[in-house]
Amino acid sequence: MTETTPILQAIGVRKTYETRGVETQALSEIDLSVAEGEFTALAGPSGSGKTTLLNLMGALDIPTQGEIRLDGENLGNLTPAELSRRRLHKLGFIFQAYNLIPVFSAAENIEFVMELQGVPHEERRTRALELLESVDLAGLGDKRPLEMSGGQQQRVAVARALASRPRIILADEPTANLDSKTAIRLLDLMLELNRSQTTTFLFSSHDPLVLERARRRVWLRDGVIDRVEGGAAA
Amino acid sequence: MLSVIRLAWRNVGRNPRRTGVVVTAVAVGLAGTLLSMAIFSGMMFQMVDNAIKTDLGHLQIHAQGFNKDPEIGLFLEDKGAPEIEAIQAEAGIQNWAPRIRGEGLVTSPSSSVGVRVIGVDPDAEAQVSMVSGSIVQGGYFDQKRRLVLGEGLARRLGTEVGDKIVLSVQDLEGDMNGTALRVGGIFRTPSAELDRSTVFLELAPAADLFGMGDSISEIVIVGHSRDAVLETQARLSAALPDREIERWDELQPLLASILSVMDQMASGLYLIIFVAMSFGIANVLLMAIYERIREIGILLAVGLSRGRLVAMVICESILVTLLGLVAGFTLALLALFALSDGIDMSLWAESLASFGMGTRIFPVLTPADFTIPTTVALLTALIASAWPALRAVRLRPAEAVRHD
Repeated sequence: MTETTPILQAIGVRKTYETRGVETQALSEIDLSVAEGEFTALAGPSGSGKTTLLNLMGALDIPTQGEIRLDGENLGNLTPAELSRRRLHKLGFIFQAYNLIPVFSAAENIEFVMELQGVPHEERRTRALELLESVDLAGLGDKRPLEMSGGQQQRVAVARALASRPRIILADEPTANLDSKTAIRLLDLMLELNRSQTTTFLFSSHDPLVLERARRRVWLRDGVIDRVEGGAAA
Repeated sequence: MLSVIRLAWRNVGRNPRRTGVVVTAVAVGLAGTLLSMAIFSGMMFQMVDNAIKTDLGHLQIHAQGFNKDPEIGLFLEDKGAPEIEAIQAEAGIQNWAPRIRGEGLVTSPSSSVGVRVIGVDPDAEAQVSMVSGSIVQGGYFDQKRRLVLGEGLARRLGTEVGDKIVLSVQDLEGDMNGTALRVGGIFRTPSAELDRSTVFLELAPAADLFGMGDSISEIVIVGHSRDAVLETQARLSAALPDREIERWDELQPLLASILSVMDQMASGLYLIIFVAMSFGIANVLLMAIYERIREIGILLAVGLSRGRLVAMVICESILVTLLGLVAGFTLALLALFALSDGIDMSLWAESLASFGMGTRIFPVLTPADFTIPTTVALLTALIASAWPALRAVRLRPAEAVRHD
């Protein structure tokens, strides 16, 4: 565990939304650090601010107040282009559903991120096939997302998230659209990646299957951290 | 960038019906415009070609001032010997012919008509003019002391081949001079103006009539092509500095203006059509963006920059337009191939003849007919993509990934 060198930090983060002149406070006074190797879940009921916090920590949104630091760098000081580059090189994402680009095959979805990074064709092809094998989808590289089951699609999303060799993978309700058997397979896969490759995961989920596997659970309620359970890294 | 182009190409193909509608609209619009312009160009080219082949040639050599005021007193001495020497030294000239050109009055038993009188060397003239090949009655100077006139003029005079008519002119000294000649041939060219108001006679009787001795009015020159004569003109002008060496479009500026107006009209027409199409393209792209908000959010989340996102939308617009261009050009070329034997316009023969055109129009496409619409279409595609691209780039990734 390397708690002294957190990958992601939220420091005094507050997020408010304004809709038709009405301000809604989504998060307030959030302080959270995620260190390398963690398998942590942001938990809490709907509307507690899990996804909002995950989006802020994933550089998809900017806080109203406070700082998000990625490898010590304050994301608030970066331009949109620099934020894109940080997402491309340091962050991996898995979303609830419809994660993949439907006009690309499974392998092309994985390669796309590497292509944006400038990885040479041969290298990215080889790595895409290796990643597909690592998520038990060997031989399905040419399938389009619509030709695959929900579980297979999510495993491709995991492979894509790993493709850029990110510092951390952020997963927003990754099991929400999966049956429990498929969800368990997916979570066990992520857990194995966390153990074997020290891949850091930060989840947003209220799925008990996710929460019982997370080593640390950060419970949110009404936009504030209610309690933290468990330890940190493997 | 290749990944963005590939993604754009796949996106173009994800809704074939919608893409098909836009491609069809671009293709039909382009093909229709191209075909109209090809027919119109064909008419204009024929008008110019007929003017060149009946009267103007590509170049004419005159004494200084002749073009401004075509006086019979402005002539080339010694049958144009120095000019002919310069012509013979010039490789860019195919054929040439000397002419005497003046005004006169032709009188038949029933009528008198003011005419242009052109004295020609029949053999040389046959190489530069289509008149010899346009005889519909009689012959082309196959007997001595004959004149050849147009069908329209023959009708006005009420004469036929073999009839005697009197040709009166003002000679070089300013005296009235006349001679009686028989009609040897009647011609019909695509130029109603020529047919109605011109008589041709041989060079020697014309010289006698105008009292010009060994002098001629002009030498008409035909080069290898309209464009190639520019250099020939420059070299002849240098060799004959005291002569007017003028091109067909300088001799008939109206024709040149018509061609120039036609080019501008074509550009304007393409612009109007493609601007109208741009709304269709923008609409389709906007629909495509709205349908893919979540997907765009995912793309932004995995690290696609906003610049590349804009490039993707522009690529989609350009690809759809390019497909339309290819289909449009193919459609137009197929239609033109089907019309390669010309379009019969004999229903409007009289009107066309008054503009110097024949009754069979051959559509003509120039390189500009491909480059102008391609340029305009691609610019339009760029403009049409601006709005959808702006819409896409303004999407906030956090909201877009949650979009239903």
